[in-house]
Order: sequence, then structure tokens, then C-alpha cells
Amino acid sequence: MSGPGTTWYLVLAAFLFGIGALGVLIRRNPLIVLLSLELMLNGGNLALIAFSRHFADGAGQIFGLAVMAVAASEVCVGLGLVVAINRKKLPLDVDRLSELRG
Amino acid sequence: MTAGSWLCLLSPLAATIVILLGGTRLTRRAAAWISTASVFVAFGGAVWAFFGVHAQHVIQNYSCIDFGLRCQAPGELTTAWTWLASGNFHVGLQLLVDPLSTVMMLIVSGVGGLIVLYSIGYMDGDPEERRYFAYIAFFVFSMLMLVEGGNLLMLLVGWGLVGLSSYLLIGFWHERTSAVRAAKKAFVMNAFGDATMALALFILIAHYHSLSFGVLGGSGLSTSTANWVALGLLGGAVAKSAQIPLQTWLPDAMEGPTPVSALIHAATMVTAGVYLIARTHAIFEQARTIELIAAGIGALTLLVAGLIALVQTDIKRVIAYSTMSQIGYMFLGAGVGAYSSGMFHLMTHAFFKALLFMTAGLAIHALSGEQDIRKMRGLGKVMPFTKWCFLAGALALVGIPPFSGFFSKDSIVAATAALGTWYGWVFWLCGIAGALLTGLYTFRLWFLVFPGEPSAFVAEHHHKHGRWGEGPWTMLVPVGVLAVLATVGGWLQWSPLWHPFTKWLQYAAPTLAAAEPSNTLEYVTSAATVLAGVAGIALAWAIYAEKRVAIPQLPAVQRLLENKFYFDAAYDRLFYAPASALSVALRREIEEPVILQGGPDLGQTTLDAGGVVRRIQTGLLRTYVFFLAAGAAALVLAFLIAK
Amino acid sequence: MSVVLAASAGNVVVWMVWLVAGFSCLASGIAVISFRNPFFSALALIGNLASLAVMYLLLSAEFVAAAQVLVYAGAVVVMFLFVIAYVGPRQEEAWKDGPRLQTLGAVLAAGALLVEVIVAVSLAAGNDLGHDSTVGPVFGSPSYIGRLFLVDHLLAFEITSVVLLIAAVGGVILGSHVKREVP
Repeated sequence: MSGPGTTWYLVLAAFLFGIGALGVLIRRNPLIVLLSLELMLNGGNLALIAFSRHFADGAGQIFGLAVMAVAASEVCVGLGLVVAINRKKLPLDVDRLSELRG
Repeated sequence: MTAGSWLCLLSPLAATIVILLGGTRLTRRAAAWISTASVFVAFGGAVWAFFGVHAQHVIQNYSCIDFGLRCQAPGELTTAWTWLASGNFHVGLQLLVDPLSTVMMLIVSGVGGLIVLYSIGYMDGDPEERRYFAYIAFFVFSMLMLVEGGNLLMLLVGWGLVGLSSYLLIGFWHERTSAVRAAKKAFVMNAFGDATMALALFILIAHYHSLSFGVLGGSGLSTSTANWVALGLLGGAVAKSAQIPLQTWLPDAMEGPTPVSALIHAATMVTAGVYLIARTHAIFEQARTIELIAAGIGALTLLVAGLIALVQTDIKRVIAYSTMSQIGYMFLGAGVGAYSSGMFHLMTHAFFKALLFMTAGLAIHALSGEQDIRKMRGLGKVMPFTKWCFLAGALALVGIPPFSGFFSKDSIVAATAALGTWYGWVFWLCGIAGALLTGLYTFRLWFLVFPGEPSAFVAEHHHKHGRWGEGPWTMLVPVGVLAVLATVGGWLQWSPLWHPFTKWLQYAAPTLAAAEPSNTLEYVTSAATVLAGVAGIALAWAIYAEKRVAIPQLPAVQRLLENKFYFDAAYDRLFYAPASALSVALRREIEEPVILQGGPDLGQTTLDAGGVVRRIQTGLLRTYVFFLAAGAAALVLAFLIAK
Repeated sequence: MSVVLAASAGNVVVWMVWLVAGFSCLASGIAVISFRNPFFSALALIGNLASLAVMYLLLSAEFVAAAQVLVYAGAVVVMFLFVIAYVGPRQEEAWKDGPRLQTLGAVLAAGALLVEVIVAVSLAAGNDLGHDSTVGPVFGSPSYIGRLFLVDHLLAFEITSVVLLIAAVGGVILGSHVKREVP
């Protein structure tokens, strides 16, 4: 393959994943958290596609498409939650939404 | 023959079960009569078994003696089923019907039947009469199992069950703390004996893999092992028969009802030790030292008990110590090897001792429960039948001919001298001294209670019972029967002249040659014991009736005797106090803080731990994610390191 | 197309494209997590997705790149924008009292994960990552993906459709008005 080797793609994917993880851990707005979650999923996807190209096995791309579908579903449900929370006039702040505390 | 033995054994058990299941549906009278009838049926079974063995015995005698054929001990071993099978060790539910067991069966069921009949009158009106009759039928069953047991394990089962029955019956009036305490004391001391017996049986199992009576005659044991086995068996016998040093429970056992004292603690259970030695004589003969120790224990006990009986003021306690003393005689006889003499004394003793207890019971009943002999003077005037029956029993006890005690006691004493050794002569002297003591304490009792003018207490408290004035027929008939037996029962055997009893037992428990006294020795001994007995009676008459001789004032001796040679105090200090202190300490240190608090503490700790863990559930999303990330990082690190 | 790219200007062009796409990927990623206003974060995400699509093209995964733009940028981000608009303009409050211990720990954890992944990959893969396999022109094409879905990975295909169905139902339920019985 011309251009950067598989390692470069993997490092990039790792960084993307790390940035997304940071976002999930630091931000308080659930919408931003969901966005960061998308970043993490995309990082993983990149790694999958890179390996698929490396081993010339289409299964990696199939997996990537499945991940995309799952990410879409998860965002759908997550946003539904956000909408429901908003309708109840609760603050959109993950630190304040702690009714499940023990 | 064997059917008779099964009938004998199971009849009282059936009565127990019926009474227990019937409960309050049976009237008290019905329960009493069921119990009595079952014991008489058992007696019938015993007679049947006896005639069966007799038939075999006659044939044996014929063939053994006249034709010199190989002798096989008469009797039959009957097995119901194999009870215990472990490796090559098998024990069956077996009954043995042989001359020795039939003698015991007849005594237990015969005298037992009379006593149970007596207790119908004695226990009349007691609120828990049914329980009493269930227990006493159970006791008869247990004792029969003990004597009919076809192997050592069945014997041990019976042994334990009679201990249980004794406990239940001593503590029958369980509202009385003294009765409960006495029951516990009896049971614990008996349990000690049970333990030593079990250890002896373990040794036998280890060597022979069998507990049949045949192994006792085996030659596979070294002398020291045989000594241990015999010692274990002796421990059980000493505990059960209330010999020194395990004798302290018997006087306390008088807390039970008088028929119980008569049956268990005079006629049958306490004689089980003697039966044991006779039955297991083969191993005792291999451990001759232990057997002689048994004789020594018997000699010591007969003296000590006789001395203590001199200062007792409770009528039942005097008779209890007398029992202890007479069993000492039986141990002496069995210990030197004169088993049939010991067993014969067992039989006559059952007659006259039960008689004495039962007449004492008549007196106690008439005086509404009073047992202090110092208050009872002159009872003979208002209760003549009791007086004469008691006299018959007393004379039999002292051993005056022609009463039964004379025939049995003297052969024992003569056998000790026949040994020829120094200790044989010591035992002989003990026996004669014992006869003097017996005369003294027995007639002290007689002269204090029966002759003379009624005391104020008697005049005030005595009231007539029943049609004949002294008690219901259920109480008077057995007393009368036993009075007759106490008088004529000894005529069965007088060793110098005729001895069918010894011949009867010759296959089951043959007398050792060393213990066969010559006829001269027999006559001399008889004369000596009779003289000693008469001397004792005369002394008692002089001191207590005529008041010509004052009681010697020896305060130290008096205290020694009144405190029963300080056995009770010593055992209290040695065993009871430390155990009691230990249990109190254990309760304070372990039971309360650890066991009782353990549960609540555990619960509290769990709650506290839960409270700590609960803090992790912050409800905040970011905390959870943080833990996720940190955990994942740690895991990956671990994997990297592992690789 | 990748073959054309490779053949024409050689490695240099590929490298340049990769660097630009990679840089914009990371920059937009940082932008996503940094903006106060969620609207801008969503827009930054679009940029991220676009650069990722370019990456996929470089990896001969044409269908996946197209799907990425259509599904993610076209549907998912639009959904986000809808909800952001519905929820209304709100700025997240600035952190009170500065970063807390938990936040610091979070940053460290994320960093550690990152480093570990890189280390793991480089250690574990080792030489294996050196040699790429050659792929034919059909690799990554829609027909290729389609055949794989229907022949080798049919189960995954069907399950994915079920997951999507469940998510759709869930979304409807979550978003619906619940009529309460007034007691």
C-alpha cells in the first residue's frame, strides 16, 4: 500500500479514541457526551478498516458497517433520553442527574 | 425356647409403646395394668425359655457326664437380622438363651412383675402415673435386653438403656430439684462406666473383628491387652453397680419413688455389673489381676457401705447402703471366681432387698411420706404385717438360717478363703466383719422403727389404708410373696450338700477350681458368719432396744461416716467445681460475646460494609465512566505486563 | 480510484492527503470536546466525519466511506442538530472551582489508555504490520461488500437490522407523550 503504513492509521485511531474518551469524562452536557461517544466509535471504526485493508479481509469493513449501524441506534435512543429529560424540565447536566445514587 | 425369649423381651416394650401412644386416652388404671400384665407375660416367656434350656441341659448332663461325649453349652443364639456390617465386622440383633441368661430373665421379670404390681398401689393418685408405668415397662425391657443380649453390642445397648431408664425414673418427680440433680448425677457416673466399656469393646473389635461372646475366650490377646479390656469392662460394672469409687450416685438415687428403688437400685440394674463379670468371665480369667481387683473393690465397698449405713437416718438410705454392701459381696464372689455363688446371692438379694424396700414403702405410705427413722418408733404395733415381712427380710439380709441370705452369702465368703493366698484370707475376714456390720445396721433400723410403743409422730400421722389397714392388696400381695421367697428361696442350694444352682450354671459360668472351697471350710465359714451376724444383732439390741450400751462417742468417726467418707466432697472439689467454673467462664467469654452476638454482629458488619460500598453509587455518570476508563487502563496494563 | 492515485503522483500525494486529513481529524475532534455551545460541537463533528471518510478512501474502503458520509454526517449529525435546536440554546456553565480530582484522574486515565493502546499495538503487532497485503480493484466496492453481507456474514446483517428496529422502537417510546391517568 502506498502512503503511510497501517501503523500510522492505528496511531491516529488511538488518538481519536483518546480524545473521545476525554470528552466523555470531562464534559457535563449529555449532548456533548454523546458526541464524544461518536468520536470514540469512529476511532474504533478507523482501526477496523485499517486492519481490513492490511489483511485484505472484507470482514473488517462489514464489522465497521455494523458498528455504524449500532452507533446510529445508540444515538437515537440517547437523544430520545435527552428529549425526555428536557421535557421533564430537568437540568441537562450529568452531574445533577443522579437520582440513581445508592 | 427362643420364642419364649423374644416374648419375654418384647412384651414390656409393647406395653411402653401402647402406653406412650395411648396417652390420656388410657385411664391411669389401664396404663398401670397394661404395664403389670406385660411384665408377667414376660415372666411367662422367661419360664418357657427356662424349660427349653432345661431340656437341653438334661440331655447335656446325661451325655456329658455319663457318656463322656463332647459337651456343648446348652442354649441357643437367635438372630433377628444383621444389624451392623462394616468390613468384616458383623453384629446381629441377637438374643442368647442359655442358663445364665434364663436365671437373670426369671429374676428380672419375676421380681419386676411383683414390683410393678406393687407400684399400682404405691403410685395411685399420682398425676403422672401413666408416664411412670411407661418408663418402668421400658426399664424392664432394657434390663431384659441387657441380660438376653447375644453379643457384647446388644449387651451394651441394654446397658445404656437401663442407664437411661434409671435417669428417667430417678428424676420422675421432676419438680423437685433434688430429684433432678440426683438423676443427673446417676446418669453422668453411669456414662463414665459406659465409656470405659465402649473402649474395651473397641479393643476387642480391633483384635477380633467381632463382638460375639466367643471372642472373650479367644487367645489372641496379650496379657496387657486383656488387662485393658477387663479393666474397661470392670469400669462399667463398678459404675453400674455403685461400687467404690463410683458409688456416690446410689444413695442420691433414693429420690425416686420407692418401687423404683426396689426394682432398679436393689434387685436388677445395680446387679448388672455382677452379671457382666459372670458373662465375660473368660476374659477376666485371662486378666486375673483385674478380676482380683474387682474382688478387692467388692470387699472394700462392703465394709465402707456397712459403716456408712450405721449413721443414716433416712430409712431408704439405710437400705441403699445395704444394697451397696451386698453387691460388694457379689463382686467379691465373682471376683475370686465363684460366679455361681455370686449369681445365687444376686437372686436371694433380689428377693429380700426388694422386700425390704417395699415394706419401707408401706411404712412411708402409711406415714404420708415421712422417711426419717428417728420419728418412726413403734410402727410395728399399728402395722403388724409390715413388721413381720420386714423382719423376714432383715433376717435374710443378715444371713441367719433358714432364711435365704445365709445360703448364698456364706458360699461367697468360703470361696475367698479357698484361694489360699494372703488376700484370700483378708477377703474372708472382710466378709465376716461385713456380716457383723450387716447385723448391726439392719437391726439398728429394725429396733428403731418397729418394736415398742408408737411415737407421738406415728400416733398422729398414721392412718389406715385399704381393706386390711396397711395398704391396698396390690401392695400387700407382692410383699407377702417376696417374704415367702426371702424365707425359702435360699433352700435351692447349700454348697456343701446340694447345689443344683451351680450345676445349672456350670456351662455358662463355671466356678474356678481355685475358688472351690472344701466342705470343712464351708461349715467353718458358715458358723463364723452366722455368729458374726448374731453378734451384730445382739449389739444392736443392746444399744438401740434396751439402751444398755451407749453409742460410742467418737465425733471424728461420726463426722467421717456422716459425710460418707468425704467421697461426695472430694468429687465435688475435683470434678464438679472445675467443670462448673469452666462452663461459667465459657459462657461468659465465648457463648455470650461470640455465639449469641455473632449473628447480630455479622448482620451489623454487613450493613456497615454495604454502607461503605454504597458511596460508590454516586449516581453521577461521569464517576461511572471514570471507573470504566481507569479499570480498562489497568486491565490493558496488566495484559501488557503479562505478555 | 486508489490505484489511480497511487499510480499517478506516487507516494507523495498520498502522504499529503493523509496528513491533511489526519490533522483535520484531530483538530475537529478536539474542537468537538472543547466548544461550549453544543451546536458548534456538532458542526465540528461533521468535519471529523468528513476527514474520516477521506481516510477510508485511502484504505480502499469506498463503500464504507460513502456510508460514513450518508449515515453519520447525513443522518446522525442531523438528528443531533434537531435535538440541539429543540433543547434550545444553553451554554454549559464553566467549571466551578477549577478542575476537580476526579477530572484530573479522568484525564490521566484517558491518557494512559491512549499510551497503552499504542504500546500494545506496536509491541504485539511487531513485524506483522510491516507487510501489507495487495488488494484487487474489487476490494471495498459495493458489490464486494454486498456479496460478503449476503454470503459470509448474513447473520450479522440480519441482527443489525433487528438492532436498528429495536432502537427505532425505543426512540419512539422515549419520545412519546405518556398520558397519565389522573387519579
